[in-house]
Amino acid sequence: MSDLKNFTCIGCPIGCPLQLTHEGRDILEIEGFQCNRGAKYAKQEFEDPRRFMSTTVAIEGARWKRLPVKVTAPVPKDRVVAAAFEIHKLAVTAPVRLGDVLLKDLLGEKGVDVVATRTMDRI
Amino acid sequence: MLGRMEGPYDVMVVGGGPAGLAAAIGARDAGARRVLVIDREAEAGGILLQCIHSGFGLHYFKQELTGPEYAERFVTEALDHEIDILPNSYVSGIGLDSDGAKRVRILSDHYGLQTKTCRSVVLAMGCRERTRGAIRIPGTRPSGVLTAGLAQKFTNMMGYLPGRRVAILGSGDIGLIMARRLVLEGCEVVGVFELMPYSNGLTRNVVQCLDDFGIPLHLSTTVTEIMGQDRLRGIKVAPVGPGFKPDMSKEHAIDCDTLLLSIGLIPENEMSQSLGIQLDLTTRGPIVSSTLETSLPGVFACGNVLHVHDLVDFVTGEALRAGRHAGEYAMGIRRAQDNIRLVPGDNVRYCVPHSLSTGHEHQIFMRCKEPMKPCEIIIGDIMRKKLSFVVPAEMIMFKIKPDALDQFQGDTLRIDIRPLDR
Amino acid sequence: MGSEIYDVAIVGGGVIGCAIARELSRYDLKVVLLERNAEVGFGTTKTNSGIIHPGHDTPMSTLKGRLVVKGNRMFDQLQKELKFGFERIGAIYWIRDEEDMPRLEALMRLGIEKGVDGLEMWDQSRLSREEPNLSHDLIAALFAPSGGVINPYEFAFALIECAENNGVELRVDSPVTSIDHDAVADGGLLHVHTPGGTVDARYVVNAAGVYADVIAGMVGADDFRIVPRKGEEFMLDKRLHGVVRRLVFPLPTGVTKGTLIIPTYDGTIMVGPTAHDTGDREDVTTSVAGANEIFSYVTKLCPSIHQSDVITAFAGLRAVSSTGDFVIGPTKVKGFINVAGIQSPGLTSAPAIGEYVREILGDEGLRLDEKSDFLAEIAGPPRFAKALPREQEKMVEANPAFGRIVCRCELVTEAEIHDAIDHGARTVDGVKFRCRAGMGRCQGGFCTSRIINILSERLGIPPEAVTKRGGGSWIMTPMSDPSREVAGEGEV
Repeated sequence: MSDLKNFTCIGCPIGCPLQLTHEGRDILEIEGFQCNRGAKYAKQEFEDPRRFMSTTVAIEGARWKRLPVKVTAPVPKDRVVAAAFEIHKLAVTAPVRLGDVLLKDLLGEKGVDVVATRTMDRI
Repeated sequence: MLGRMEGPYDVMVVGGGPAGLAAAIGARDAGARRVLVIDREAEAGGILLQCIHSGFGLHYFKQELTGPEYAERFVTEALDHEIDILPNSYVSGIGLDSDGAKRVRILSDHYGLQTKTCRSVVLAMGCRERTRGAIRIPGTRPSGVLTAGLAQKFTNMMGYLPGRRVAILGSGDIGLIMARRLVLEGCEVVGVFELMPYSNGLTRNVVQCLDDFGIPLHLSTTVTEIMGQDRLRGIKVAPVGPGFKPDMSKEHAIDCDTLLLSIGLIPENEMSQSLGIQLDLTTRGPIVSSTLETSLPGVFACGNVLHVHDLVDFVTGEALRAGRHAGEYAMGIRRAQDNIRLVPGDNVRYCVPHSLSTGHEHQIFMRCKEPMKPCEIIIGDIMRKKLSFVVPAEMIMFKIKPDALDQFQGDTLRIDIRPLDR
Repeated sequence: MGSEIYDVAIVGGGVIGCAIARELSRYDLKVVLLERNAEVGFGTTKTNSGIIHPGHDTPMSTLKGRLVVKGNRMFDQLQKELKFGFERIGAIYWIRDEEDMPRLEALMRLGIEKGVDGLEMWDQSRLSREEPNLSHDLIAALFAPSGGVINPYEFAFALIECAENNGVELRVDSPVTSIDHDAVADGGLLHVHTPGGTVDARYVVNAAGVYADVIAGMVGADDFRIVPRKGEEFMLDKRLHGVVRRLVFPLPTGVTKGTLIIPTYDGTIMVGPTAHDTGDREDVTTSVAGANEIFSYVTKLCPSIHQSDVITAFAGLRAVSSTGDFVIGPTKVKGFINVAGIQSPGLTSAPAIGEYVREILGDEGLRLDEKSDFLAEIAGPPRFAKALPREQEKMVEANPAFGRIVCRCELVTEAEIHDAIDHGARTVDGVKFRCRAGMGRCQGGFCTSRIINILSERLGIPPEAVTKRGGGSWIMTPMSDPSREVAGEGEV
């Protein structure tokens, strides 16, 4: 018994509507793409959808109260909210340099680290 | 050097965001020795400092960076280029000496009110957000109605939320980005309401900011009333029909305590106007020649103050050029004046620059009026470019090689976008 | 109960209450002003059109008519002393139809009788020379050079500052909830109850605007009703600066002065107001209908003006009395003075009302000993944007805070924000109305975060406690604290 999943490709601004037919976890067919980015995207979104994310953490002693951070590798899409929640528990003290690793293996995801995306001096 | 202003300068840049920083670097690359960047914020980097999401630098660095990362690269590069950057300062006026030198009045707490001379100026003041008054939403005037950019500043820099139950008017990227941002901070985003029948933002943002979080996007809908005495307590929305008139029979109320407005950006040309610089009524930015020089000799413009961009990479490209030309100007290098007018034709909302000259390479930026796919850009009779799609939300950029204009006869080059039959 | 007894408690800190406060502060009196909002002028006053009327169009048979010309004449001296912005830009009253000419001429005669200075009748050719952007089908206009414009809130702030300098006590966030009075006719006190405490006073002056009948009702002195009459107004883009040079009025109807074009003191053009009675003392909503009403009229009157020029819209409530005139005078309750129904030309009459109320209080037995050390003048807020470059240099040298721009659109510096707070601003709107930060094209997009930070620092409150205009108008709320919440996983 096959099922259908719909995605909108985000590879470029055309935004091809993609249909992916699958049986259980086996992909039977992908349709709707105008280039192979679409096929790859649909496969990834079906098998292991992930998202890059960025947010801020509290910082003490700097000009602003928040330090912007990002993850170094994408997080599973269904763990994004939990990931944000976890990152928000961090609190750092200035100075911080761009690229400083604030947390390794976020939510136990190997290779997904949280890094500072700017330098903030101590004021 | 950071925080220093000496002078006289060769080139002064008004605004230290991505446009200003790149312009300063371009000026130095062209050989200008003394370059000053003036910025009103406590740090250079402009709006990028609060754009903590990624999506910047894909073209320029071939990497996907966040706003602060992109900004920091350019601030570092500017300082490495021995450019003076003066933060917390403000240009209150520019005058002209009889020999063409510019006298720039600068207000800063460190140096007080000073006048510094330079040979050329680059305007890079960016843009401001459209506000409630511009679209005249009726109702009360409670707190809780603010632009998405101000909400972004509250959230990402001051460390406060604009509210807890949020509605967003306008599906431009700023609104979409803030929708996701606020969800990740624990807010409830009740929906994004968009007047047009299509989203104004990138599809990628609709998917990753709205679809991912189950935030509904209501197209062809507008906000018809704002309610609440002291603080917003709700809005009314209605679908719009032909002519964007709201169908009041379908008006209904939505509880929320915050309404973010993401309804457009306006280039910040108050100072340009007071200098008498001619503006293009469509872009709301200065009319510029192929060297990005405004109608005031030796005053150049780039970035969002010239026309609202969507990719910072394009801003950087445009600003490096403007800066280079400003640097050349400062050193007495002049070009022949432009001899070809560039005019927008079918399905072209505007193009920048507004004129070209034979014998040089040009970088043209333009926007279409309506989506079209597939299509062809027709540049006079000298060039054609096929594209699989164009949408108003995505600026189109292309280059015209110097020899392309060699055979051109005439003084007006018209650009059209026409559909291509498959 | 408070141990001190006040001579006078003024209920209401709009421009009328503030004018009365200043007048009374000339005398050796213990005066308190009770304002229900977070700052003075936050009711009708800040929404007022800011017009100082020549006064020719209100008959001498009314109290309004008698006070308006006197009030108008007092503004030059007041401006010298209190430094608020005021300019006699002049006013014209136009007509389109020949059949309206007799009314226009009658208006001129009434004005001359009342002593209004400088009235002139302009014919079509003179009118189109003087105001070329008005519609060419206007046939004549009455010109009144004594008409002027002020910022009404600036005026109220200046009045109360002077009053406070001279000993008047200001209590904000103090709505009056009830008033009782001693039965004894002589020496009986009035007890004015507010959430912050009770004020015992010999005299109460009821200047409570749209709530004046409610306040009067607390002592049974309400032989009038207040019908709030809403007016919507629209501020227009600076591109229209100079499109008209004077206040532009139609002939007045019985209900309203009409739809006007107002070149405000700050140079922005404002159009409106509408005039619709509303039963709701808090209804200050703007509407599509209101905008359409104003613009369909204004665009015919001045074709350069278009609805797309609106940068902001707001509405206010006139306190219209059912008696059709000001209600100023003692009541059957000894010591309780009504100053109610002060609608147009209320602002113009304000200084005259101040004196009139002082006279009434004197007649009612209040002892009026003039102070020898009355400080009539205030320094006025520093205005960096209006200073010449030489002066600006000096200002920055003396105080580096003048070198830090907070409001980019109106060129307002940090020093002026502090000055506003020094003089009573406690809210973002309070800062805005005192120094213009936030009133420009970006409508606070750039300056709001700075103003919040400065208010937070100066008032010693966390940033989330800073409000737009007091009460429940919070602006920001703290981020969630993850350590106190339970994480959730699963499909978003």
